[in-house]
Amino acid sequence: MTAQPPFDTELVALLPRLRRFAHALCQNGTDADDLAQATVERALRSRAQWQPGTRLDSWLYRIMRNLWIDTVRSRGRREKFEAPEDAAEQVAEDPRDAIEAQLELNRMMAAMQRLPEEQREVVALILIEGFGYRETAEMLGLPIGTVSSRLVRGRGALLEMMGI
Amino acid sequence: MVTEESFFAWLDGELDASEAERVAAEVAADRQLRERAEQHRAMQSRLKGAFDGLLSAPLPESLVEAARADQAEVVDFAAAKRSREARRWAPLPQWAALAATLAIGIFAGSQLPRSSNASVEVQGGKVYAASALENALDTQLASASRGDTRIGLTFRDQSGAICRSFTDPAASGLACREPGRWQIRGMFAAPEGQGGAYRMAAGMDPNLAALVDSTIAGEPFDAKQEKAAQAQGWR
Repeated sequence: MTAQPPFDTELVALLPRLRRFAHALCQNGTDADDLAQATVERALRSRAQWQPGTRLDSWLYRIMRNLWIDTVRSRGRREKFEAPEDAAEQVAEDPRDAIEAQLELNRMMAAMQRLPEEQREVVALILIEGFGYRETAEMLGLPIGTVSSRLVRGRGALLEMMGI
Repeated sequence: MVTEESFFAWLDGELDASEAERVAAEVAADRQLRERAEQHRAMQSRLKGAFDGLLSAPLPESLVEAARADQAEVVDFAAAKRSREARRWAPLPQWAALAATLAIGIFAGSQLPRSSNASVEVQGGKVYAASALENALDTQLASASRGDTRIGLTFRDQSGAICRSFTDPAASGLACREPGRWQIRGMFAAPEGQGGAYRMAAGMDPNLAALVDSTIAGEPFDAKQEKAAQAQGWR
């Protein structure tokens, strides 16, 4: 009798973080929640492939990232530059209260959309989700140097967009 | 001389202690670098702050349903019973036991009796502390640890709600007070092979530390403030 991994419980507890990552990648909340749902469904179908004792969060993030890449590719370049033109002005405001939070989220999502996908995923994983360089490199299957140089470009672009 | 690479690695906490100290000293001595560090910290704090709201937002019903779908399949009466029996003979980490008990908790409204020991439960799309965890968050002070759950920091978040970090043998997390309940803001499983005492001795999970960092407003409570907050029902 071996200890069963806490798959179900951990999955439920990870839902808010998965939604956050999805919002950082997608251009609107509907797409983000669709992505989160597709990730959960895929994870449950392939749960046999998860190695108990390894991190469930990294595994789920990897599934989400791959599904997102598939969507982006199938959509092609068509919608790539759809982020609103006035995003730079929009992001220049400062949040004041809870009512402002949704607008602020929209602004930051728009700013993220203006980053190329390969910078966006690195910024999302490191600056928003709090993963280390090495964990991120492993999740994305990239050399660590590539991760850090994409991060430098991405954060520089965001700094400019926010007018800081 | 600080290269761009080591400047950002330092900013992101990626350097070892001695290297970090060296870069910190160079940055402290250079006004331009100091300003640049401040700008990037402000950028990250605004970016992360905007997305962190999602951690405490209600989950869409369909997403919770999708995650529950599997539990309905795998945890039936027999499985739950087997799992309880297994625990009786070979005690599992508290966290492993949760898998079964949470699933039962989710069924509480329909056919199954409510489990008395699930540590988290979903209600209205939010994840809340329950039973032993809720009890620990309600009653335990950081200085007085008892049972499997230990309380770390207590502080207020930007909205003024009281939050408490906790660690048990297989996971750690952060819960913030809503009227009458503790909402789970994040929960992180112990990395492989780092259960129990080792984990506690090793300090806070870096993911949890980052979550605390982005949630906290001001300083953590000292023992006196923690006690006073408890006396006032964590309001």
